[in-house]
Amino acid sequence: MGASSDPTQDGSDEQQKRSEIYTYEAPWHIYAMNWSVRRDKKYRLAIASLLEQYPNRVEIVQLDDSNGEIRSDPSLSFEHPYPPTKSIFIPDKDCHRPDLLATSSDFLRVWHISESSVELKSLLNGNKNSEYCGPLTSFDWNEAEPRRIGTSSIDTTCTIWDIEKETVDTQLIAHDKEVYDIAWGGVGVFASVSADGSVRVFDLRDKEHSTIIYESSEPDTPLVRLGWNKQDPRYMATIIMDSAKVVVLDIRFPTLPVVELQRHQASVNAVAWAPHSSCHICTAGDDSQALIWDLSSMGQPVEGGLDPILAYTAGAEIEQLQWSSSQPDWVAIAFSTKLQILRV
Amino acid sequence: MATPPPNNSLQTMLRAAVQSVQWTYSLFWQLCPHKGILTWGDGYYNGAIKTRKTVQAMEVSTEEASLQRSEQLRELYESLSGGETNAKTRRPCASLSPEDLTETEWFYLLCVSFSFHPGLGLPGTAYARRQHLWLSGANEVDSKTFSRAILAKTVVCIPVLEGVVELGTTDKMEEDLNFIQHIKSFFIDQQHPALTAKPALSEQYSTSKPTSSSSSYPLVTANNTIPIQNIVDRGEAIILNNNTKEAELAVPNSSFIPSELMELDATLEEFRVGSSGDGSNHLDSFPTEKSMALCSAGLELLQLQLPPAPAHPPTENLAQGGTDTHYSQTVSSILQKNSRRWPESPSLNLLTDSFQSAFNKWNSGADDYQHHFHVSVASVTSQWLLKYILFSVPYLHTNWLKGKGTSPYETSHVMAERHRREKLNERFLILRSMVPSVTRMDKASILGDTIEYIKQLRDKIESLEARKRLTGKRRMRQVEVSIIESEALLEVECVHREGLLLDLMTKLRELGVEVMMVQSWVKDDGVFVAEMRAMVRENGNGIKASVIEVKNALNQIIPRHEPYTLASSDHF
Repeated sequence: MGASSDPTQDGSDEQQKRSEIYTYEAPWHIYAMNWSVRRDKKYRLAIASLLEQYPNRVEIVQLDDSNGEIRSDPSLSFEHPYPPTKSIFIPDKDCHRPDLLATSSDFLRVWHISESSVELKSLLNGNKNSEYCGPLTSFDWNEAEPRRIGTSSIDTTCTIWDIEKETVDTQLIAHDKEVYDIAWGGVGVFASVSADGSVRVFDLRDKEHSTIIYESSEPDTPLVRLGWNKQDPRYMATIIMDSAKVVVLDIRFPTLPVVELQRHQASVNAVAWAPHSSCHICTAGDDSQALIWDLSSMGQPVEGGLDPILAYTAGAEIEQLQWSSSQPDWVAIAFSTKLQILRV
Repeated sequence: MATPPPNNSLQTMLRAAVQSVQWTYSLFWQLCPHKGILTWGDGYYNGAIKTRKTVQAMEVSTEEASLQRSEQLRELYESLSGGETNAKTRRPCASLSPEDLTETEWFYLLCVSFSFHPGLGLPGTAYARRQHLWLSGANEVDSKTFSRAILAKTVVCIPVLEGVVELGTTDKMEEDLNFIQHIKSFFIDQQHPALTAKPALSEQYSTSKPTSSSSSYPLVTANNTIPIQNIVDRGEAIILNNNTKEAELAVPNSSFIPSELMELDATLEEFRVGSSGDGSNHLDSFPTEKSMALCSAGLELLQLQLPPAPAHPPTENLAQGGTDTHYSQTVSSILQKNSRRWPESPSLNLLTDSFQSAFNKWNSGADDYQHHFHVSVASVTSQWLLKYILFSVPYLHTNWLKGKGTSPYETSHVMAERHRREKLNERFLILRSMVPSVTRMDKASILGDTIEYIKQLRDKIESLEARKRLTGKRRMRQVEVSIIESEALLEVECVHREGLLLDLMTKLRELGVEVMMVQSWVKDDGVFVAEMRAMVRENGNGIKASVIEVKNALNQIIPRHEPYTLASSDHF
C-alpha cells in the first residue's frame, strides 16, 4: 500500500513537523500492533488486522528513512487465524536470538521471521486432551527471561509458557472472571487485570498466593488493560472499562491509587510507560488524543488534577499505542485503518 | 534509641525562633536525667522541600507545610530506624520515602540519631560551659571539631532550660550577639527564675570591673568574662571578635572525636550501612557517598515495612490473597532490582535542537475545542474496539469449535460410556431377579436387598452347621400311631425344629384327627418328643383316617436327620 504523510496540522506547522509524523494505511482495521525491538531492525513494526472472520492478516512494515514511506513487504505478510489480540516482537535488543514474533488469539503462536519469509515456529496448546484452549485476551513477553511468555485468558487463568520447550511452565486460576491483560514486573513476578475489577500480583516463587493491589471502586467494573513501569517497577497503570481516567498504582501501597489521570474527554483505550524514563507515561483514547504525562511530582497534590505535558490529536479514536523500547523517541498509534509513528 | 515524646510548646518555641531569623532548622538537645547525656528532644525543619506528600488535596500554607514536614521527617526516621519490628506498621501513602528528601532534609533527619555527653561535641560543650557557641563555616571545619559537618554552614548552640538549642543554616553567617539574645528571648519565660538568682554575681563583677557596667548587654558581658578566664587557664584560645571576617571557633579538644564518631557509626549501623574504620577521612566525603548509601539503605528498610494486603474472600481453587510475608518478599525482589537503577533514572528529553516533536504542548485553554470534540465522539460507543477484542473476539473461537461438531475421539468416548451404562443396567436387572425379596426397583434398593439376602443365607449356613455338630449321626426318627374306634393315641420322637408341634397338630386336624391332650418337650440333645391323645372324626365323605394314613402324613412333616441328606438341595 502507498504510504504518505498525514497533513493533520495547519500550513506552517505542517511544514515544520512533516518529517516527524509517518502514516501507513492498511486495507483493514488495525488492532494488534507493536514495534520491533532488535537493534538491527529499526522502524519496523508488526500490524494485524481486525476482521470478524477466521482468516486474518499480519503484515510486517518498515519505515524507509530516505523517503519517509512506510512499506509493507509482501513476503513478510502472512495469514493468521482469527484477529490477534496482541503481538510482540522478541525482546532481544542485541540480536542474540532468532528473530521472532508472537501473537495471541485462539492459541499463542510464535512466528520465525527470515529475510524473505515468515513461518509458524510454535503453536502453544496447553490442553493435551483436546484441541480446545481457552481463548487468549493478551500476553506479555518477559524481557529479563525471554524464554517466558505469560498469557491471559477468558477462562480465568494465566498461563506461563516456556517457548523453547513449547510447554506450560505454570497455569494459575488468577481471577474470579475473565482475565483481560497481563504484565511482567520482574523475572518471576507478574500482574493481571480482570472483569472482576481487580489488579493482582503473582510471584512464581509462591504460586499459592496472590495479592490484590487495586479494586475498582464500583463492584465488578472490569479493568481492561494494565501497564507495568519497566524503569521503575514500583508503579503500574490500569484502564477501567468505559472510563476516561487512568489509575496509577504503587505496588507498595495496595488499594491506594497514587494518582488518577483525568484529562481525556472520552474513554481511554491504551496506556504505555516510557521505556527510558521512570516518570513518563502516554495514554490514548476515544477522544482521538494521545497525551504524555510527567509523573515526577506524583506525591504532590496539584489543584484541579495533573495536566499532561504534551498532546497529539489523530483523525479518529486511537485504539492502540506502543512506545518503542529500542528507539524511545518514537511512539506508534493505530486508529481506524491507519498506523502512525510519532516523534515524542 | 529512646526518645521522649515531642513537646508541643517546645516545638512552638523552636518554630517561632527559627522562622524569625529564617534559618534552616532548629533543634533542642535535652538532658536525659538517667543517662546524663543530651539527646534529641524536638525539632523544626524550615528548609527546602523536595517532594511534598499529603493526603489532602487542598493547598496548604507555607507554614503548615513546614510543620507537616517536620513531623513527616520524624516519622520517616522512626520507621527507618525501627527496622523489621515495624514491618507490619501500615504507613499511609502520604508518608515520606528516602528518595523524597533534599540534602538538607537528610541532614536534619540524621540529627535525630545523635546524642552528646556534656563537654563533648558542640552541644555538649555549650551545655557544660553554659555558654553559647557560634560555628561559622561549619561545613569546612575539620570533622574533629564538628563531625556533623555536611551541609550546614553556620551552627549555633545556646544553652537554655535543661538543654541546648541548636540552629543551623546553609548560609555562612558571622557571629552576632544580638542574634543570640534574640533567640534567647523566645525561651525567656522559662529563664526568668534563673536570672533572678544571679544578681549577686552581676553585682560582684560590676564592682571589680567598672567599665563593663556601661555595656548595653551587661548580663551577656558578665557571662563572657567567666569562660574567658577559664579558657585562658586551660591554655585554650577563643576568638570572639565581631569584626573578624574569619571568626571561627577553634576548640582542639581531642575528646570530641570518640563520642560523635561513636554516635555516627551507630547511626550508620542503624541504617544498615557498614561503618568505616577510618571515620575521619570517611566523613570528609559524606555529602556524596553517604547520602546515596543512606538513600539506598532507606529503600532496603522500606521493603520491610510494607502494609498487609486487603482481605479478599477466597474462592475455591482461586489463588488466595497474599499474606504480609509473601507480598513483602515479592515487592522486595522487585525493588532490589529497582534500587540499582534508581540513581541512573534518566529524564525525558522532550525537545531536542535538531528535531521537532509531533506532539504539541498541552494547552488547557483548548477546553472548548475538546468539549466540542467530546460531543461529537459521544455518539460512538466508548472503547468499542478494545471491548470487541476482549469481549467478542475470544468467543469467535468457541462458536467456531461448536459448529465444527464433535471429534471422532469424542464420539467413541460417548459410545463406550453408553455401552458401559447399558451393561450395568442389564446386570442390575439380573441381580434383581435373583433376589427373592425386592422392595423397590431403584439400584440402591436392589443392592440393599441383595446384601440382606446374602446375610440371611450366611445365617442359615451357620445354623445348619451348628445343628450338625449337636445331633451326630444317630438315626432319630420315630412315629407311633394307634386308633381304637374313634380314639387315637400318637407318639412322635424326632429332631427338633421350631414350630414342629404346631405343624403336627395342623396336619392331624386336616386328616380329621382332633387333638384333645398333648404332652411335649425337647431333650437336652435336641430331640423332640410328643405324646398326643385325639378323637378321630369322619371327613366330608364319611370316611375316617386310617393308621397308615396318619403315620405317613406325620412322617412327611417331621424333619429327616440323616447324614447323607444334609447337603441336599431340597432345603432350598
